[in-house]
Amino acid sequence: VNKALALAAVLSFAATSGGASTLEISAVDAKGAPVADAVIYAIPKGPPPALRKRDAAIEQRDKTFVPLVTVVQTGSPVQFPNRDPIRHHVYSFSKPKVFELKLYAGTPAAPVVFDKPGLVVLGCNIHDPMIAYVYVVDSPWFAKTGADGKARIAEVPAGEYDVYVQHFAQVAAQDPQPHRLRGDESLPAAFVVPLRQLAPRPGPQ
Amino acid sequence: VSLPLLRKPRLQDRIVIFFVVLLAAVQLVSFVFIRYTVEKTSQNVLREEMRVGARVFRRLLDQNSQQLAEATSVLAYDYGFREAVATRDRETILSALRNHAARIRASGMAVAGLDGVVVADSLAPEAAGTRYVHPDLLARAAEGGRTSAIRVVNGRPYQIVVVPVLAPLPIAWVSMSFAIDDSTARDLQRLSSSDVTFVRLAGANVELLATTLPPSRREQLLAKVPEIVALGRDGMQVALGSEDFEALATPLDDLRSPTLFAILDRSVAESLGTYLALQAVLLLLASFSMAITLAGGMRIARRITRPLSELAGAAREVAKGNYDVRLRIESDDEIGDLSRAFEGMVKGLAERDGMRDALGKVASSEVVMQLLKGEIELGGEEREVSVMFTDIRNFTALCETLTPQQSLQLLNQFLTAISEVVESHGGVVDKYLGDGVMAIFGAPVTRPDDAQRALECALEIRRRVAALGPALAARGLPHPDIGIGVNTSGVIAGNIGSPTRLNYTVLGDGVNLASRLEGLTKRYLVPIVAGALTRERVAGIVWRELDKVRVRGRTVAERIYEPMGRVGEVSPQDLERLERWHAALEHFRERRWPRARTGFEALASERAYARLASLYLGYLRELVANPPGPDWDAAFTLYDK
Repeated sequence: VNKALALAAVLSFAATSGGASTLEISAVDAKGAPVADAVIYAIPKGPPPALRKRDAAIEQRDKTFVPLVTVVQTGSPVQFPNRDPIRHHVYSFSKPKVFELKLYAGTPAAPVVFDKPGLVVLGCNIHDPMIAYVYVVDSPWFAKTGADGKARIAEVPAGEYDVYVQHFAQVAAQDPQPHRLRGDESLPAAFVVPLRQLAPRPGPQ
Repeated sequence: VSLPLLRKPRLQDRIVIFFVVLLAAVQLVSFVFIRYTVEKTSQNVLREEMRVGARVFRRLLDQNSQQLAEATSVLAYDYGFREAVATRDRETILSALRNHAARIRASGMAVAGLDGVVVADSLAPEAAGTRYVHPDLLARAAEGGRTSAIRVVNGRPYQIVVVPVLAPLPIAWVSMSFAIDDSTARDLQRLSSSDVTFVRLAGANVELLATTLPPSRREQLLAKVPEIVALGRDGMQVALGSEDFEALATPLDDLRSPTLFAILDRSVAESLGTYLALQAVLLLLASFSMAITLAGGMRIARRITRPLSELAGAAREVAKGNYDVRLRIESDDEIGDLSRAFEGMVKGLAERDGMRDALGKVASSEVVMQLLKGEIELGGEEREVSVMFTDIRNFTALCETLTPQQSLQLLNQFLTAISEVVESHGGVVDKYLGDGVMAIFGAPVTRPDDAQRALECALEIRRRVAALGPALAARGLPHPDIGIGVNTSGVIAGNIGSPTRLNYTVLGDGVNLASRLEGLTKRYLVPIVAGALTRERVAGIVWRELDKVRVRGRTVAERIYEPMGRVGEVSPQDLERLERWHAALEHFRERRWPRARTGFEALASERAYARLASLYLGYLRELVANPPGPDWDAAFTLYDK
């Protein structure tokens, strides 16, 4: 049974002394329960922002991708350190980034660079239950809600933005919320996005 | 020749028939009951087995589809395959599909996108780009991860499995088809122990998809399919040809109104095989117990009827007077009791009969019979009878040289002869008096010719005793000499004695006179002396008057006579002498003494008259010496016996 959930994001643009705003985000489902792992990012209207290089890594620990959801700016390299005593075969058939890291241990020498925006779903060829979501976004201003459904995007310069919310279990893609930031405020904003029950994951019990 | 069945039914037959019919009825009832119960039970068992079989069958189908789904899943996880699907490389996908289908012996394999459009289909490559034919299965797979169903494609049934291609989220659907054919049906038949037939109903049309039935029975079953589908979801009995089958329909597709069915059927007769064996055993037991009952019944019946027949035969023997019957019955039961009682009864009868015989010897069988018939009044009655006394005068002389046993034997010889003659003349031996016999004619049965028969009896006794003479002479014994007195008179006849011991006899002066007359035979040296009334009652006899006697105490004198023979048998010389004798006797009674003496003297030389003449000449001498008074009646007075 699909359960519709709603994600509410409260974007809070807080005026900062450095001429930047802060988005205070709150995500709830249709029942008002906080939702974790919701991805929120703000795309400025105008020329795309330059890559703000940030280190990212998706570990394999206990035959699980950690974290489950990762957000990176387009063009970012991501490391896949294997913390398990066994090897993994990480792959993606997602259009934004098709790749595979054939059976390896430790950390591969070259990180994987996600050079196209979009959702990349990662799997491990020899461990069916393993799954990870990588959101590749054309913006350095992004965040991921925690277990309390809250997130914060800081240091957002003044300007006009489309603020997107995405979740791997969302029922349908949501239209972005347009926001004008003055550059000195802390702005709350609420999003209600219905979620669905995911199909059961295959794999050993 | 009468048929055995037409003869009178015997007790033995009735007993045997009763037991056999009873047993047959009991066996028939129990057989019918057992047959009904077993049939019902085995039908129930069969139906239950069919239901279990159907559950097993459905479970097998489920397991089959799950295994196929697992196998399909494994294939769908193949990295190369996923890569091919992810890249939508149609040709590669198609060849991979064929390869994978061959790996798990699937009939066909297809890939559809998440949008429900066929990417590649190993069975119908031209279908690429069209909508997948079972969109509902894709929807179900999206919901539950995988799905399976039986669908008919191009007139053939397939088990269709749909699993997602996970990378690691679903990127496409793989559908794998497995043909359901006769070989699938045979596999299921082995596991469910029933014939398996797959059919599709299209309106009133029944389409045979696959079956394990022999061709001969297919059409028969197909004709019944609508009925089985409508009524036999939990099993029902149908007749296919001449045989009964238990059939059950189980729907195969998941539609609201299913069109695909598996029909399971099993022969009732085969399932009732054990029952048939039981029936055979029952029949065997029945015939065995019937035989035992027949044999035992006949044996028991014979044990009852054989002694009965024997008793009946013995009873008939007893009726004939033969008391010497011995029954060969040794049993201790009631029959033994009966036969012992019967033997006791016969013994008692024999004793009593012997007693009656003995009684008859002293009291005459005729009297006993009359007494037994109740024709004789026990009280006395007056009637006229002829009484006869006999006596062997020289018996003592006869016995002189004999032992007591021989004497008794001789006596019995005489008495037997005399008794026989008496009885043959209708007389009754009243008693034996030493060597004498007292016989009665006219009591207890009166006949008009009693006196005649009494006299003829006396004559016959005289003859028979004389006939014994030569035999006795041969033993050196003297000639037997018999004296017989016969007198006819009124007497009292009746039972005399006490209530426990009665003796039927006659009493009266006439009886005494008869005895006296017997005694007078010695005086007159004649064998027979009869009274006047006897003479009067008898015809056809020539008589010689002997004398006129007066019994002491009585005033009337009685004339006494001797029978000489039958009229016509006496010679003329004897008749002439008799005439002279009677004339002389007449002279004597008329006191014409000289003429009487002349007559007597003339006869004294005759042998038959010597004694009489000498007696009368003696009378004359006395009468002449003492002339009698005027009241003389010429009678001789008997003073004692």
